[in-house]
Amino acid sequence: MTDNSLAVHRAVVRHGATPLADVADLRIDTGRPLTIVGESGSGKSLLAHALMGTLPPELAVEGSMTIGSTRFDLADRSGRRHLWGRRLAMLPQEPALALDPTMLVRGQVAEGAPGWRPGDVAALRLAHEKLDHLGLAHAGSAYPHTLSGGMAQRVAYAAATIGGARLLIVDEPSKGLDPGSLDRLADLLAAHVADGGLLLTITHDLRLARRLGGDVLVMRDASVVEAGPAERVLTTPSTDYTKRLLAAEPSRWSFPWMANAAAADPTAEPLVAAHGITKSYGDTAVFQDVSLEIRPGERWALTGPSGVGKTTLGNALLRLTSVDRGTVGYGDVTRGRLQKLYQDPALSFPGRVPLERAMRDVMRRHGADEARVRSLLGEVGLPLEILSRRPDQVSGGELQRIAIVRAMLPRPVLIFADEATSRLDLLTQETTMDSLMTEVAGSGCALLLVTHDPDLATAVTDHQVRLGQDRSALLEPAV
Amino acid sequence: MTTSLLDVAATVAGRSRRSTLARRAAALGLVALVMFAIVGPLVLSDPAAQDLSRFLEAPTLAEPLGRDDYGRSVLARLAHATRLSLVLAALCVATALVLGCVAGIASAWFGGWVDAVMRAVSEAFVAIPALLVVLLVSALASGGSLWALYLGLALAQWVEYFRVVRARSGLVLGSPAVEAARLLELGPVHIVRRHLWPDLRSLLTTLASLGMVTSILAMSTLGFVKVGLQPPRAELGLMITDSFAFYDVAPWMSIAPIAVLFLLTICFLGLRTSEENR
Repeated sequence: MTDNSLAVHRAVVRHGATPLADVADLRIDTGRPLTIVGESGSGKSLLAHALMGTLPPELAVEGSMTIGSTRFDLADRSGRRHLWGRRLAMLPQEPALALDPTMLVRGQVAEGAPGWRPGDVAALRLAHEKLDHLGLAHAGSAYPHTLSGGMAQRVAYAAATIGGARLLIVDEPSKGLDPGSLDRLADLLAAHVADGGLLLTITHDLRLARRLGGDVLVMRDASVVEAGPAERVLTTPSTDYTKRLLAAEPSRWSFPWMANAAAADPTAEPLVAAHGITKSYGDTAVFQDVSLEIRPGERWALTGPSGVGKTTLGNALLRLTSVDRGTVGYGDVTRGRLQKLYQDPALSFPGRVPLERAMRDVMRRHGADEARVRSLLGEVGLPLEILSRRPDQVSGGELQRIAIVRAMLPRPVLIFADEATSRLDLLTQETTMDSLMTEVAGSGCALLLVTHDPDLATAVTDHQVRLGQDRSALLEPAV
Repeated sequence: MTTSLLDVAATVAGRSRRSTLARRAAALGLVALVMFAIVGPLVLSDPAAQDLSRFLEAPTLAEPLGRDDYGRSVLARLAHATRLSLVLAALCVATALVLGCVAGIASAWFGGWVDAVMRAVSEAFVAIPALLVVLLVSALASGGSLWALYLGLALAQWVEYFRVVRARSGLVLGSPAVEAARLLELGPVHIVRRHLWPDLRSLLTTLASLGMVTSILAMSTLGFVKVGLQPPRAELGLMITDSFAFYDVAPWMSIAPIAVLFLLTICFLGLRTSEENR
C-alpha cells in the first residue's frame, strides 16, 4: 500500500452534451490537503463522485487517475469498488441521512471494519475504540436520530475511515453545522492529514478551506477558475470570480442597509415583549427565564450552537410554541403582521400547487395587486413569470426570495428569519440576505434572525441574544 | 444533490411509461364494463322473465350466454348484476370516503378530545372483521335489504379512509407550509384547498379504487353464502352459487359472473398509479 499520492490526469462529467465538470491535472500529496470551493451547481460534488465511481449511470464520465502507482480509468465505474473503505472513502453530504436509522451507532460503524462478518466482536471493539477516540464512546449504543448534527457528522467520519482508507473525500461537510462542530470536524480532518492521509474536501465554506490549508481549487460552471495554495488564493485572489466569492463572506459585506440600523426608536412601545419565559421538553429545559423586548425597526439575532433552542425561542416569541412559564405580549400588532422565513423554503410553500396559486390566495387576503407583487419580485431580482412554476422547480435561493416577497405582502411589523440562509452557498446567501434586508430597511419592520453564524449575526443585526449550553440567555445590546 | 435528482427522474420515467400503458388498458376495460352495465339493462330482456321450456339452453347467437335453470337470460341477468355491483360499490365508497375524510381531517385539525373519540370509534370498528360489520348491519335489517347492505359496507370501509387521512393530515397540518399559511392569516379554506386536498387526492383515488374492489367482492361473498341480497335479484355472488348445481351441464352460467368479477377487480387494481408518479 503505497497510496502516497493521488493524481487526476483528466476528469470530464457530462449529461448529454452539457459538461457538468471538467478538470485536468489535479494532484494530492500526503500532508497537503486539497479543497475545492465554489457555489452550488459548479460541479464540485460531481467531481468527487466521479473519483469515487459513484456517479449515476445517466452521467457520462471520461478521464483517468492514478492512486499510488495504479492507474484507473474513470469511465470504468466498478473498477474502484474493491478500494472503497480500504483505500478510498467518502464522507457524504448530510451525514444524518447517510446513517441507517434502524441500527445502533456502534454496529453500523463496525460494518466498515476490514474483514467484517455479522457478529464480529473484534470489529465492534475496533468501532468502540474509533468512537472513543472521537469522544463519542457514549453514543455507541444510541440510534442516529438522537445525535446532533455535529455528532452524526463524526459518527459518519468514524464509519468512513474505520476501513483504514488513506484517501478521504469529504463532500460539503459544513452544511448546517455550527462553528463549534465545524471546528471539531476540521481538527479531525487535519489529524487525518497529519497521519499521512490524503484529503480532498468539497465545500462552499471558506472558513473551513482556510482552516484546512494546503491547496485550493475554485470551481465555477464546471471548470476550474483558479488554483493555488490556500493562503494565496483565499487572501489575494487573482480572478474576479474568486474576489467576488471572498467578498460574499458576511464579515466583508458592505450594503446600504447596514448603515441605518440605528434608526430604531428606543423609547417606542415594544412590538413583542417577553417576560421571564421558560420552556422545557420533558425534563430538559430549552431556555429559562428569558426576557426580551423587540421595538419597531430593531434587528435582533438569536445565536448559539445547534440544538440550543434558538428556533424554539423564536417560535415562542411568535406564539407558535407555547411557553411553560412567563408571558409573551404584543403591542398594538394586528394579526398577520408577524411573519416567518424558514430554513428550508421548499417546505414553507404548498408543495403540489404552482407558486402563483398559493400567492394569489395571499394577495386576495391582504389586498395586494399584481403590480405590487411584480415590483416586490423585481426588487429581489426575479421575474413575475417564475411564479408559474411549482416550488420544487425553483432553486433554494430563488424560492427563499419568493418567500421574502410573500412575507412582505401583509406589510409585516416583524420578520422572524429562522436560519433562512444556512443551507445556501455564500453567493446565494449574500443575494438572499441583501434582498431581505433591503425590504426590511425599506419597510421599517423589525427583524429577528436565528443563525449559528456569528459573522452573519454581526453583519445584519445590532442586538444579539446568545443562547448557551447552560440554558442561559445572554443579551448583548447595541454596540 | 444534482446527481440524485437525475437518478430519480430517469427511473421514474421508465417506470411510468410502462404503468401508463397498463393504466390505459385498465381504463378501457372498465369503460367497456360500465357501458355493459348501463346499456345492457336497457336493451336486453327482463332478467326475471322465466321460460321453463328453455331450461339450461346452451349459448346461441341470439342468447350468447345461454339460459339458466329457470330459462332466464344469463346475459340480461349479468348486465343487471354488474350494474347493481358497480352502483352499490360506488355509493359505498363515496359515503365511506366523505365520512372518513371529514372525520380524519377534523381529528387531525382539532386534536384533543375530538381526536380521542374518533380514534376510539375507529378502533372499535377495526377490531371487528369488515365482513362481520356488514353481517351485523344486515342482520338488524330485514333479510336482503339493499339499504342494510349499503350501510354495512360503508360503515366497514370508512375506517381506512379515516386512518389514512388522519395520519397524512396530521403531517401536512404540522408542516412549516401550514404554519406559514396560518401566520399569513389565509384561513381554513386555503389550507384545505391548497395544502390538504392536493396532498390527499392521490392517496384517496388509490384507496377508492381498492375500496371499489373490496365492496364488489364483499357483496358477492355475502351473496355467495346466501346472507346478502336474496333471489330472485340478479347479483354476481348469487349467480355463482345458483349455477354450481349445473356446472357440468351449463358451465356458461358460472363462468360468466366469475369472469365479470375477475375483470372488475383487475381493471380497478390496474387503475391505480404509484403515488410518486403524480
